[in-house]
Amino acid sequence: MTLRARLKRQWDRNAIVYIFLIPILIHFAIFQVYPFLLSFYLTFMDWKVIGDPEFVGLKHWKYFLSDSIAWKALWNTVMFSVYYIVPTMAVGLILALIINSGVKMAGFFKGIFFLPVVTSFVIIAGIWGWLFRGTEEGMINYLIGLIGIEPQLFLSDSSQALPVLAALSVFKVAGSTMIYYFAGLQSIDKGLYEAAKMDGASTSKIFWKVTFPLLKPIHFYVAITTTIGSFQIFDSAYLLTGGGPNYATTTIVYYLYNQGFTSLNLSYAAVLSYVLFFIILMISLLQRRFLGKESNLY
Amino acid sequence: MKKVISYVALFILGFCFLMPFIIMILGSFKNVEYAQLDPLFWIPDEPTLKNYFYIMRDGQFLRWIFNSVVITVIPVASQMIFCAILGYIFAKKKFFGREVIFWVFMGVIMIPQQLLIIPKYIMFSDFGWINTYWALIVPELWGIMGVFLVRQFLQGIPNDLEEAAYIDGANDLQIFFKVILPLSIPVVATVGTFAFISNWNDLFQPLIYLTQEKMFPVTLGLASMLGKEGNFGIEMAGSAVSFIPTFLIFLFFQRYFTEGIQMSGLK
Repeated sequence: MTLRARLKRQWDRNAIVYIFLIPILIHFAIFQVYPFLLSFYLTFMDWKVIGDPEFVGLKHWKYFLSDSIAWKALWNTVMFSVYYIVPTMAVGLILALIINSGVKMAGFFKGIFFLPVVTSFVIIAGIWGWLFRGTEEGMINYLIGLIGIEPQLFLSDSSQALPVLAALSVFKVAGSTMIYYFAGLQSIDKGLYEAAKMDGASTSKIFWKVTFPLLKPIHFYVAITTTIGSFQIFDSAYLLTGGGPNYATTTIVYYLYNQGFTSLNLSYAAVLSYVLFFIILMISLLQRRFLGKESNLY
Repeated sequence: MKKVISYVALFILGFCFLMPFIIMILGSFKNVEYAQLDPLFWIPDEPTLKNYFYIMRDGQFLRWIFNSVVITVIPVASQMIFCAILGYIFAKKKFFGREVIFWVFMGVIMIPQQLLIIPKYIMFSDFGWINTYWALIVPELWGIMGVFLVRQFLQGIPNDLEEAAYIDGANDLQIFFKVILPLSIPVVATVGTFAFISNWNDLFQPLIYLTQEKMFPVTLGLASMLGKEGNFGIEMAGSAVSFIPTFLIFLFFQRYFTEGIQMSGLK
């Protein structure tokens, strides 16, 4: 075969690679790699949108270490995870168990549980804001009033606002957790249940000794993705509380937004975004460390 | 007995999950006074279409929907095409650096988009893209997750079909369109539905790149309305209208959402 024929054959077999991959790599470099590096460079500069950036070294990083609001925002984000992760997993698992229990119209209800996942946060926040109004006419206050509980301030109360936002997030994402658990439940060997029943195990015993441990990879995957999601929470705080009252719902991304785009401290916001990145990186590395290759999850 | 518990739980939870949407619809037909004083959201005594007329009044709401359509439809179409082709390339083609490029792509998924938003804002200011569709369309023309999904799917398909087509003298593009694409329709539909939901519902990026109300997508428009109207009926009419496209897409493509969620989490 001549060289020309070989080259021609090579081109015929791989033309699609060169034609499509090269523009995509350029796009990737411009919109992913370059911004990632630019952001890091920015953390060492003073840059006020207008004018030239000025090198300031570690100034913004040092400021971060002493910035009590940033630490408060990190703490709020951790607390948000505490309020959010276990309930999301529990609700998702319960939904999956019900759907998987052989009920009729399972597909229809699966759709209902999944509906909030595809619905905009703006719509859901609009409704929840109204339900959790801190007045006596608020629906939740009305309902708890029926069992004799005093009306609460909810989103205007600095100790209640964060749990209310977490509850909203549970409602928003439990449907996707359900899908993971449902897939997990379906992959469990039916023979195991029959064997357990033969041995006379009760329903709750079967759940805790067979089902729950066999879902371990799913628990782990859901816990990791939910944790990562909780560190990126922004929409509900922006829409419902504006980070307040008294910074009680200022999460790390909300603070980043506030610093970058309200106060125009873009460099400092870049520092905060790198802090967020390092946290998410650590969580992802933990995931890899513990999940490794033994599991069928990536 | 177990069945009974399952059904009771199913209906209670189903009601809880559906209730906010019922409240949205009922609320959208309510006069202000009723909405204010009726904590339980019964069917309104005097249902009114006033709220819907109000939001349609000066065409601004329609403009927001139009903006949302523009910044959603183009990326959805483009992602379906590019993710299908790239998924095919990474699943079936052997070329120099394939593994390295793919794992760099996968590594980048770990970078939170909030990190990229500040440098992108600076870049887009330089490009003159602030308050334009470009800022929301161009970066979304393809997606790493979509490439990953298609690759996963095609790796499970034997190479024989392609080989046969090669022997018959078909070239790459012919094989892609005649053999690969028809097989990948379910996964490409999944990529499309995910792209639709993420672009249609995105609040963060429009909030950063857009400052003029006439450029707002419906999420941001609705958010600005929630901030200033203080009238539940109007807010809910706006929510209901902006919810319709999501709901229709969901109704027709529900299967692809759940399949996609499973595929992205489970190999």
